Amino acid sequence: MAEETKPSAPATAPPKPAPPPGPPPPKNPGFVTCTIDGREAVVKPGTNLIEAAHAVGVDIPYYCYHKRLSIAANCRMCLVEMSNAPGGKLMPACQMTVGEGLAVRTDSPRVKDQQRATLEFLLLNHPVDCPICDQSGECKLQDYYMTFDHLKSRLDVPKVELRKRVELGPLVVLDEERCILCTRCVRFMREVAENPQLGVEARGNHSFISTFHGQPLDDRYSGNVVDLCPVGALTSTDFRFRGRVWFLSAARSLCTGCSRGCNVFLDYMKETTFRHRPRENEAVNQDWICDPGRLSYKPFNDRRLLAARLGHGPGRPAARAAAVAEAARVLKARAAEGTLALLLSPVASLEDLLVAALVARDGLKISEVHVGGRPDGWHDDFLKRADENPDRMGLELVAAAFGFTVKPFADLARAVADGTVQAVWAVGAEVPEEAAAAMVAKAPDLVVQATNGGPLADAATVLLPSSPVPESDGTFVNFDGRAQRFEMAYWPRGDSRPHWALAGELGKALGLVARWSTAREVFEDLGRRVADRLGDYRWDSLPSVDRRKGLVPLAAGTVDGRLPGYRERMPLDRSGNVEWDRLPNP
Amino acid sequence: MSKETEQILQNPAPPADALDAPFPSKRMHVNLGPSHPAMHGTVRAVVELDGENIDSMKLDIGFLHRGFEKSCENVTWTQVFPYTDRLNYVSSIMNNVGYSLAVEKLCRLEVPERAKYLRVLTSELHRMSDHLTLVGAMGLELGAMTVLIYCMEARDILWDRLTEIAGARLTSNYARIGGVARDMPDGWQDKVERTLVRVAGLRDEVDKLLTRNRIVMDRLVATGRISRADAIDYGFTGPCLRAAGEPYDIRKASPYLVYDRLDFDVPVGSNGDNFDRYLMRLEELKQSERIVRQCFEQIPPGDIVVEDYRYVMPPKPQVYGTIEGAMAHFKIVMEGIQVPAGEAYSCTEAANGELGFYLVSDGGGRPYKIGVRAPGWNMLMALPAMLQGELLADLIPTFDTINMIGGEVEQ
Repeated sequence: MAEETKPSAPATAPPKPAPPPGPPPPKNPGFVTCTIDGREAVVKPGTNLIEAAHAVGVDIPYYCYHKRLSIAANCRMCLVEMSNAPGGKLMPACQMTVGEGLAVRTDSPRVKDQQRATLEFLLLNHPVDCPICDQSGECKLQDYYMTFDHLKSRLDVPKVELRKRVELGPLVVLDEERCILCTRCVRFMREVAENPQLGVEARGNHSFISTFHGQPLDDRYSGNVVDLCPVGALTSTDFRFRGRVWFLSAARSLCTGCSRGCNVFLDYMKETTFRHRPRENEAVNQDWICDPGRLSYKPFNDRRLLAARLGHGPGRPAARAAAVAEAARVLKARAAEGTLALLLSPVASLEDLLVAALVARDGLKISEVHVGGRPDGWHDDFLKRADENPDRMGLELVAAAFGFTVKPFADLARAVADGTVQAVWAVGAEVPEEAAAAMVAKAPDLVVQATNGGPLADAATVLLPSSPVPESDGTFVNFDGRAQRFEMAYWPRGDSRPHWALAGELGKALGLVARWSTAREVFEDLGRRVADRLGDYRWDSLPSVDRRKGLVPLAAGTVDGRLPGYRERMPLDRSGNVEWDRLPNP
Repeated sequence: MSKETEQILQNPAPPADALDAPFPSKRMHVNLGPSHPAMHGTVRAVVELDGENIDSMKLDIGFLHRGFEKSCENVTWTQVFPYTDRLNYVSSIMNNVGYSLAVEKLCRLEVPERAKYLRVLTSELHRMSDHLTLVGAMGLELGAMTVLIYCMEARDILWDRLTEIAGARLTSNYARIGGVARDMPDGWQDKVERTLVRVAGLRDEVDKLLTRNRIVMDRLVATGRISRADAIDYGFTGPCLRAAGEPYDIRKASPYLVYDRLDFDVPVGSNGDNFDRYLMRLEELKQSERIVRQCFEQIPPGDIVVEDYRYVMPPKPQVYGTIEGAMAHFKIVMEGIQVPAGEAYSCTEAANGELGFYLVSDGGGRPYKIGVRAPGWNMLMALPAMLQGELLADLIPTFDTINMIGGEVEQ
């Protein structure tokens, strides 16, 4: 053999052969040019095929791939034909990077057959769970089955039965039968949460997702694995069995849990918020939110204050107009005495604070503001900030714009204690410390605008019910000065109104002109005072999203321009008449 | 008393040809309908009369307008079927079939043989019921009550058979994208064949009552005439076009389903008048009977719907027993079948002529746009021209024989 492969050295050196032709020069210098299904894609070197194909409008199906996680290439859904594949094998598009002159086919009969076979394999032991599965309606197994398989089952033996309800941790339940072992959750915990609490246990056919024995999945980012799971294997204990996704509509909202201002979808039906899902924003939260943020929607539904109240303690329910008139009378009298203090909450939106500040300065001649808000909480070096108030920066901007002196909450408690403050107007009733709050609650006159019960709301002499984030439009300015919009999901519940509307009504009762009927008008009118600190923020700059629901909404939209799923409720006044002027702007 | 009448009365010696002289008259407007016992459907005609003669007429349609085309954009492709039932409500299966053929053209679906035969079979039964309705109503509106009773009996026993296979007399909702909803029940063929014998008997009775009847001939022969060239120009199709002498039938000109395998004749008239149009219906009743009998001879066993879960709901055991069936069921019900993007026009020979469906799909679960070419529209729009100068009394049989159906004409 050696003699055959090793020719004997020639006596005289032959002429030097021409060097082999090198790779052709790139067609677009600095970029890689390849052909995907006949379309030319020009992308940066190192881009994988899924992203390159997406850029030219070719969608390659995948389960395990995620652009923010490492590549596993284990679901085999993204196999494509590549011109340089060894032996002409099908290659996983998620793992393969583009090459100069590469030709890729994603629609050849071989690829189609492979996709169908992969799906048949994935569905082989999948339980018939769609009717009881939370993922149903937003499940990639369903989507891809209809696109790539659509053949009937050939299974003629019983399906493998596994554990249906494994409580991995406080927020996550695993259904092993539904799991396709894509390991997205494992990679997320290892790479993003940097807390590798999940792993794949056993080998081959017996593999399953598991925590270490006896250790729960209790990381504070564990909820993201539910969103990541492309099938219904990981479900949220919080959302499980509570609502079907095709009945939910989604509003582009913000998490109110801390001053990061993570972008979320707020999924709601009628007047109830069902869940937060992270909404992608590369600059703020990428694709993730923390678990407390995920659950921070709870106060929007529970223990809400929905009617105005007059008098100490339980007091007596009152019409909002009567309560506003009483509040204006009290505040005016106390302002004349000089014993009135203003308490602003950094949980209120920029628009709320602008109107409150305007009314306080022009209607009540106040020149200093006390800052309430939630106390500091846990923090980490990923998303969560210690400051749990979403709009502290906004409050500071407003105070500066109106020339207010900013004072801490403790000062207010002291002033109430020594009697220099006899009355407090609280816009937002969140308090940083209980003891000081108890002291403030002793003020003889306490006008409180609050969404939920609390020490100040419970002690209010005049309580005005206000609306939280899903019931109003507005702006939060996060810790590094980024102004972000959230949009209204549903009309204010009960008799509640956003802080800005309540403050506007107060201002009207105090003799000012209330010029605004929507938060947008507030921002257009008063936002100019802080515009120089908001950069290029525009009120209408919410990114449009093409698919907010699990199911595709009507192409033409609803007749009145609102999202589907919310057409049954019109804004009504107390006597049941439609308030036409409160319909949203077209 | 008008001036002319006074003049006549005062003149003691009328001229010799006084009886043939036109009776002096005033112009007058008559509102016929929308609800009038002699009107064939709910439609209003404003007729300007010069004596007994029609000087001009205006048609006011829209009393059955339901926004069919727009409504279809809000439902899935499969949910459109019940809406098509309400187009020509006397022969709903032909609308079902026309629509499903158009969608199948977009989806490039080939329907199983048995389903094709079932579609033809039920369509022809419905064609018979449509023609029987026309003849019966025409008889009634010309004063022949017996004819209506005979035709209604024939129609009802046909509808009984259709109820047995489709589940409803009128709004059958029988076709599906990819096939039909139900197979023939046991013993159905025998029952239909016996029914056809009875229908043929009743048809012959009606034939005897009407065709050589002096009064009927006076009302029908040479009234409501339209020439072959005019009929083509107005876009006539179906029996009304053939009555004018143009032998155009989509079942022959561009055969769909299994019409190319069936032996039947296309009757053609020569005068384009009401009488020809009436005879056309009688003859087509016979031809439809032939087609139905041939279908029974030729129909093969097999599936009645394609097995493609992208377009057809899986059978229930698959839905409840396999994940594939459950997913397909869920997706079809919740999102609708995903019809490939594109547009298609498909036409069939319905009872009154060319029934066309023009569909535009954006690739989603609901139609992007649906347009219907209703056969009755062209005949209806030609009516003022056909009746120009004719007697008011001729309006009634002409309206009958063009067979305007509000459900499909009014979009």
